[in-house]
Amino acid sequence: MSRVRVEVRELTKTFLTGGREVAAVTAVSFDVRDKEFVALVGPSGCGKSTVLNMIAGLVPPTAGEIRLDGRPAAGVLPQVGYVFQKDTVFPWRTVHRNIGLGLEYRRLPRAERENRVREAVRLVGLEGFEEAFPATLSGGMRQRVALMRTLIVDPEILLMDEPFGALDTHTKLRLQAKLLELWFAKRQTVVFVTHDLAEAITLSDRVIVMTSRPGRVKLIHEVKLPRPRDVIRIRETDEYAREFSTLWHVLGEEFAKAEAVG
Amino acid sequence: MTERTRVNFWRLAILVVTVGLWEGLTHPAVTKRVSRVVYFVDPFFISRPSAIWTRFWYLNSSAVRVPLWQLLISTLESTALGFAVGVATGFAAGLILGRNDRLALILGPYIVAVNSLPRIALVPLVTMIFGFGIVAKVVLAWLIVFFIVFFNTFQGARGVDPDVIHSARFLGASERQVMRTVVIPSALAWTFASLTPSVSFALIGVVIGEFIGGESGGGIGYLIIASLGTLNAADMMVALIVLAVMGIVLAIGIRQVEARLLRWRPEYQARA
Repeated sequence: MSRVRVEVRELTKTFLTGGREVAAVTAVSFDVRDKEFVALVGPSGCGKSTVLNMIAGLVPPTAGEIRLDGRPAAGVLPQVGYVFQKDTVFPWRTVHRNIGLGLEYRRLPRAERENRVREAVRLVGLEGFEEAFPATLSGGMRQRVALMRTLIVDPEILLMDEPFGALDTHTKLRLQAKLLELWFAKRQTVVFVTHDLAEAITLSDRVIVMTSRPGRVKLIHEVKLPRPRDVIRIRETDEYAREFSTLWHVLGEEFAKAEAVG
Repeated sequence: MTERTRVNFWRLAILVVTVGLWEGLTHPAVTKRVSRVVYFVDPFFISRPSAIWTRFWYLNSSAVRVPLWQLLISTLESTALGFAVGVATGFAAGLILGRNDRLALILGPYIVAVNSLPRIALVPLVTMIFGFGIVAKVVLAWLIVFFIVFFNTFQGARGVDPDVIHSARFLGASERQVMRTVVIPSALAWTFASLTPSVSFALIGVVIGEFIGGESGGGIGYLIIASLGTLNAADMMVALIVLAVMGIVLAIGIRQVEARLLRWRPEYQARA
């Protein structure tokens, strides 16, 4: 068994809204092992993004503990990469200069930067768009820029908050395939937040199902599908159908509860 | 006819008709058998284009002690200086306070107080301190431009999307790198929105300074106030037209710089 890279212990977060304390997540615990791809799923408002943001150091937990590589997490760490659902590509920089940002921040020599950016552009098929500004690109292309911008600095732990949530189905599938391909080559430790169960099963080794608000861990499920996976073909297999149906019944209850409340 | 030529045609038409009417209406209406000349509109007050044209060339000739183009250069110089200093200081102050909540909170009331003073009320004080020369004019322009640019940049610096800043931090940006690669480019869009009005306001500050400064201050404003002394409407019109043309040229210049620096914005992106 490989070592644990992300440890989440009894994590609780309460927000103060209108003078009242509202629990977003209560006593969430799980581990993510080295090179593992874990998906965090649950109905909207269940606090899955809050959990991710606490791991990332963006939101301080109310109680509980997070350890990254055995050390208590404090703030934004250099070995962690984060991909937002929201478009955070810098609109005032070209594709090329967006992807090279992390290398620029690390003051790498220009020649090396150029080489690595060129390689990154090629990996996500953005050749010919190097000098384009984000305003002229589609949502899918912008998210590819965001992905490469994060991956180019080789983060060992990759946190992703519904990165493909705003994309249409076709673009989403293509980006899932791209992500799997890139991940299979480098094997980062990934925590991937999504409300799309199909996406979670297709991509991950384990699926952590969260309950509706206040979020708790309902189930941790091992996805026993072989790798490398083909995002389209895998959906046509019986194994996939079984995984989906098992998780769907568990998750379905929570979706129903979330609907009843919200 | 393309849309562009159509627009230009109507622009030209308006100019020709206005100048034509102006010239026509300010000529004597009845010329025979009256003891005094009667006008539709008395050129004493608004002069007439042909007279303005004549005065324009006269004022530029060596017949006058300080030719018009020298007055123009003086005004231009004060305006450019006041504008540049105002933009630089306003931008810096906007960035600093925009990224420092406590400082912004402490200084807030003072900034509002100073800004709510009508600038013109400060003219006598500025004159008292800086005299009648170029410094007073530059200070007046600066006083106006600073606050416009400051408030815009301040808004821009505060409005930076926190997630964009976070994404920079995740990529390893230091505080200074966040400022240089996120806050400044993001605030620039707001700053630029304030530059075109700032030029006009810089010009207001300078011209007021020249009203007060008299001959020693020089400039187009001095020509206006001197023409009032001699009740010379033609000279006044020359000064006003020169100011208007100068304003247009400066505004176009800023637009060019803006289009270059903000070329990433959708409105400046040529779409295929």
